[in-house]
Amino acid sequence: MATKTSNSTKTLYQSYVIEEYHLKKEPYYVPVGDEIQLFEAAYSQRIPVIFKGPTGVGKTRFVEYMSWKLGVNLTKVKKEEKPGEERQQDNLPLVTIACHEDLTASDLVGRYLLEGDRTVWIDGPLTRAVKAGGICYLDEVVEARKDTTVLIHPLTDHRRMLPVEKKGELIEAADGFLLVLSYNPGYQSALKDLKHSTRQRFVSIEFNPPPREIEAQIVSHEANIDIDMAMRLAQLGEKIRNLKEHGLGEGASTRLLIYAGKLMAAGIKPRRACQVAVNWSVTDDHSLQNSIEEVTASIFE
Amino acid sequence: MNNKRTTQLNKKLKTFPPDVKDEFTKAKPHLEEYLTQQQLYEWVDSGIKIASQSNNAWDISVNMFRVSPIIIGSLKPDDFMKWLEAGTNLAIKHPMLGTAFFSSSPSLVQGMSSTNITDWASLGAQLYKDTWKSGTLSNRFFESSADLLEQLSFEELTRFVSFLDIVAKHSYDLSSECLTLALRLFPLVGEDKGRFISLSLNLVETGWRQLKAFYDASLKALPRVDRLQRKRFLDLSERLHLEGIINMPNTILEISQALQLIEKRDHCKLLDIAEPLLDLHPSSFSEFIKSSPIVLAKVSFDKLDAWCEEGKTLLKTNPDGGMAFFKIESSRSEKFLEEISSAVEFQTISNVIELYCRALAGEEIDLADSRDLVEKNIGWVAADSPTTEGSTVYLPETVDRYSKKSENFLWYKVVSTHQVGRMEFGSFRFRFDKPSTRFENTRNSLELKSTEGTNSNISATTDIQKFFNFFEDRQLSSDIFSVIEDGRVDAKVKDDYKGISKGYVSIQLDALKVRPNTQDLNAREALLELLVQISLGQKKSISVPKNYKEEALAIVKIARHAMDSRSSVEDTSEATVRIYAILIEVSNETVDEDDWDPLDFEEDESEGDNFSDPEGLKETLDSMGNSAGDDPADTQEDKYNSPQEVDYRGEFKPELTQLLEKLREQGQYKDGGNDTDSITQEMMDQFAKNSVELSQELNDGASGITSDEIVENMLKEVGLKKPESLEGGQGPLVHVDETGGELESDEPETFVYDEWDFRAGDYKPRWCIVRQKYMAEGEDSYYGSIVQSYGNLILQVRRQFELLVPETMRKERRLQDGEDIDIDDVIETMIDIKSGSSPNEKMYWRRNKVHRDVAVVFLLDTSASTAEAIDDSKSNSDQWNAPEDPVEYMLWLRSRRGEGTKRTYKRIIDLEKEALILLINAIEAIGDTYGIYGFSGYGRENVEFYTIKDVDELFSDRVKRRIDRIAPLHATRMGPAIRHSTSKLESIDARTKLLFMISDGRPQDRGYSREGVEKEYAVHDTRMALDEAKNKGINTFCLTVDRNGHDYLKTMMSDMGYEVLDDIYTLPHRLLYLYRKLTT
Ligand SMILES: Nc1ncnc2c1ncn2[C@@H]1O[C@H](COP(=O)(O)OP(=O)(O)OP(=O)(O)O)[C@@H](O)[C@H]1O
Ligand SMILES: [Mg+2]
Repeated sequence: MATKTSNSTKTLYQSYVIEEYHLKKEPYYVPVGDEIQLFEAAYSQRIPVIFKGPTGVGKTRFVEYMSWKLGVNLTKVKKEEKPGEERQQDNLPLVTIACHEDLTASDLVGRYLLEGDRTVWIDGPLTRAVKAGGICYLDEVVEARKDTTVLIHPLTDHRRMLPVEKKGELIEAADGFLLVLSYNPGYQSALKDLKHSTRQRFVSIEFNPPPREIEAQIVSHEANIDIDMAMRLAQLGEKIRNLKEHGLGEGASTRLLIYAGKLMAAGIKPRRACQVAVNWSVTDDHSLQNSIEEVTASIFE
Repeated sequence: MNNKRTTQLNKKLKTFPPDVKDEFTKAKPHLEEYLTQQQLYEWVDSGIKIASQSNNAWDISVNMFRVSPIIIGSLKPDDFMKWLEAGTNLAIKHPMLGTAFFSSSPSLVQGMSSTNITDWASLGAQLYKDTWKSGTLSNRFFESSADLLEQLSFEELTRFVSFLDIVAKHSYDLSSECLTLALRLFPLVGEDKGRFISLSLNLVETGWRQLKAFYDASLKALPRVDRLQRKRFLDLSERLHLEGIINMPNTILEISQALQLIEKRDHCKLLDIAEPLLDLHPSSFSEFIKSSPIVLAKVSFDKLDAWCEEGKTLLKTNPDGGMAFFKIESSRSEKFLEEISSAVEFQTISNVIELYCRALAGEEIDLADSRDLVEKNIGWVAADSPTTEGSTVYLPETVDRYSKKSENFLWYKVVSTHQVGRMEFGSFRFRFDKPSTRFENTRNSLELKSTEGTNSNISATTDIQKFFNFFEDRQLSSDIFSVIEDGRVDAKVKDDYKGISKGYVSIQLDALKVRPNTQDLNAREALLELLVQISLGQKKSISVPKNYKEEALAIVKIARHAMDSRSSVEDTSEATVRIYAILIEVSNETVDEDDWDPLDFEEDESEGDNFSDPEGLKETLDSMGNSAGDDPADTQEDKYNSPQEVDYRGEFKPELTQLLEKLREQGQYKDGGNDTDSITQEMMDQFAKNSVELSQELNDGASGITSDEIVENMLKEVGLKKPESLEGGQGPLVHVDETGGELESDEPETFVYDEWDFRAGDYKPRWCIVRQKYMAEGEDSYYGSIVQSYGNLILQVRRQFELLVPETMRKERRLQDGEDIDIDDVIETMIDIKSGSSPNEKMYWRRNKVHRDVAVVFLLDTSASTAEAIDDSKSNSDQWNAPEDPVEYMLWLRSRRGEGTKRTYKRIIDLEKEALILLINAIEAIGDTYGIYGFSGYGRENVEFYTIKDVDELFSDRVKRRIDRIAPLHATRMGPAIRHSTSKLESIDARTKLLFMISDGRPQDRGYSREGVEKEYAVHDTRMALDEAKNKGINTFCLTVDRNGHDYLKTMMSDMGYEVLDDIYTLPHRLLYLYRKLTT
């Protein structure tokens, strides 16, 4: 579903991977707390949101789900108001941008391209989201260059404006637009922390690993394994997270548990699946691995 | 007697001192009985001849006459005459020996042949070399002959004398010492004394100087060796000597010390294994034997053989390696030993299992040796079975139950899982008021009913005690409760941890094997034993008293219903009520052999679900207390004994555990005001008196401990009362409520800071004074020695850090001039031209060194707690001074073995300092601005802030010398120190600022951090100080060195830069790693 920026044949500059989703079917998401209500409320008031939380706990999945869910709602409202007008897409456009340290402001906003004799302006993903009134999701925003904050700030206060310096334009965000950042605390490099002035433009929704039952449900669905096995995987995840203070930077993520489940579904023995998908992925420390091995052995035959 | 001859002789005799004549006269009548006239004359003649030899020789005659009557009683007349002749000849030839010969004779000559007598005399003569010294030796010989001959045949004696003779050529003293020692040695040598004599003879030839040492050593060594192996031992000693072992006597002493630790009957086997080593490499023989006790502590003899073979193989290719192997000084040796040994030691598994337990429980569970808990003397007594007191899992020191290591490890794992299960599944979280889920509640009615009951007027300190109080026989109720609860935990573990359940079941089956037969017990005990066996999953039938078969069935039913994975601890209590009601009616009488019936119980899985109380339970319960009205004296009830402990479960003391937990909590919130809930001293005393779990121990009286002492120990344990021995330096920890007002900084180099009071939700203004001073200077050699000791690492680290520099080279674009043009910019410029806007001419790029602009302050905790030893193994002097006592020797041997691998005694602070030195080296390589400070203090007006290197100071020898002097000081007040560091960083202009704190996680100070609310105060303030720094654009990171989970900060720091180091030895590495990570 990811589409590259257009005109790729004529692109002479490096292009960044930008994902733009038009979701066809409802993403699978199981709410863990009140995050759906929170996000809906924030969205209805157009308050930008930061997702805080460790890796693999469903932040990306959640924003996909919300864009779908909100899109459905919006369309319905519009249909009632203006029955004549049809909207093709039944969900809010979602633009996901994985940030990295060479990502610059113009990568987000857009740039001119040469086309024969003419120059053509191509909107960057952020601009497109702003114009389309979709959700723009900047994943791991701390990784981006600091100059991106120049863009984020005016977009996230009452102005809701995107300055397009090159064109000397100020684009007002379409009504549906919302900026969502993801941010993984834990120890970030000191050079890369979010500035307070940035952080305080957002509300924060915290993501934590779901409780055992819910996680089992997710794992079972995603990996397509029976609920009993999924329960045990969730149990393992929970036990490993108990060791977070002991050298594990982060505990086992739901994503890893799903991987283990998938391996099992493909016929790998449970202990082995957990070893490669979970244990060896969460730590390189031998003694820790040994302990996790024992925990795995206690849970799986 | 011929008169003429007689008078002649008489006359002659009279020429000597009168003693001669007197003795003669006394002896004569005895001899006349045996001797012919002629012989008699010869006898007197001999006496006269001897006496006439010299002026003093008459004395010899006196001796001769004196012993003659005794000798004639034990020798035939002819032999007597031979003896007389030998003696006379000897006395005439060597007057010096005469007395000794004659006076030694009586104890000796009995049954001796005449030739031997003559030979004996000449043996003595052989030793005599006409010198005074040799005379002494010879005399000693005569005197000792009787004793010697008790041990030796005459032939052996002869050889022994030739030995003495040879030794005497070197030294008379030595020879006579050997004689003395030999007298004590011969009885030890065993059958073949000849061997010992030849050994001695050989030794004289090859190394007479070792002789005495050898004798001394043998004297000590032989008794340690199995009697039957002593000859062999001596043979081996000789071999050792011949093979050129330098200090053979010492070696055999060492060998014997090792043998002493091994069962005597195994000596033969051991020597069998060891002997071939002599052919291969003589020193390996002794090293092997010396190490064998350690090896045998881990493995059986078969495996010892295997271990030896492995060493031999190595020895053949690599003699040094082989020797190290036998000394257990090589890792190959230890590894191999580890591989073949089946025993598992607590030490080796504690790391893995501790984290395992923490993972399972989700709590900061510690692991410790069971003996530690027993030593605390707070009610637990079994030093070698597992248990828990709610926060720590205690395990036995070693497990060697199975022949496979993996099985022994599994045992450890299963028992730990069980103990953690007690925590995870809430055994200690029993609430009296919490309804049970699988039984009808009876506890409330018990409470109502028993307002007039016997025990209920005793106030209960914990819920579980309150529960036990309702029972007349609290011991019985507690026993039932324990069994069911443990059974419930087992069921829960098996259900929740499917992976371990197989191993779990097999260990339960093993536990069943050692359960007593119910038929050996009295009725009530038998039913309780039934309960235990049910809880262990007994499938076979169990004998129960015929009369109580119905009761037994009822018990099984209740128990099964409770010991289910769906049950809670409250269900256990309900089951306890019911089973108690049954058992209290069963009198604990002996049951006749014929009155037993097997009870079979079919596995009825569904049985557990449709449980319902029998009719009339209520009535039974109501009458439960009253039945005690029956006078127990009129039945033949025996005293009831609790069931034998199940080994893998160990002691279960919910009552004590709940109390400890309550006390700990109380410690946390001590200042919380006049909490009605809090436990008073009286309550503690009450508790101790009432506790079932303590009463056993107190009644036994074996431990000789009083309930007061236990109460005292418990308070110490939870930190409500500090043990007398404080971690150095700190003042008496009497509670000082910090009153008073704002402070002024009146002196130079003092600074005042606010402090955050979380209760008030506000700052206490101008609350602390930080006194900044330079650290005193010590030697600068310390710095150098650390650099040297880390040699390689220092280089490595430097290189790593230097690599950081290119990492920060960034491509800089939009330059007027540079390495190359940037295609993006060119295009943009073209676009600009086309679209008519003014073109950007900066289209070059260059790799540019981005100026690293980092300033960092390291804040080092130098409080007293950092004096804690990391490792208790203080190195002993490495001389060979093995203790005599076998137990001590064992320990000593172990420590000697460990010396090679373990570091010597270090404190937390030492590692902090070492880490610091590494860091300085690294930072100097990249040129960041940095300052190093230590902090400590006592009280809010004395926060000491020591400058080791100021941020604007250059690194110098002075800094090195200051590092040397960093030492544990007083208490820790982190907040103000952080604030002061923050202000230092604030004044510096840098893009990245970092405050890095290294502490042991205990912000202790008077009025700042003791158990309870203060501790929270300290943690909150610390956290606040860090937040303040953050708000000022300073990044903070706390690295906590804490092996024992004393870290109080952790809880507050979840979203801060924060890390706990379990393994302190990783500190230097970790610190460098983090520094790099945080500043790039
Ligand atoms: N609440 C949830 N409902 C459904 N699926 C979930 C949920 N939480 C996690 N998942 C599953 O976990 C996987 C990982 O989640 P996701 O990719 O959203 O993590 P993330 O928080 O974005 O991680 P990162 O920070 O690494 O990007 C998803 O693919 C999804 O399968
Ligand atoms: Mg994601």
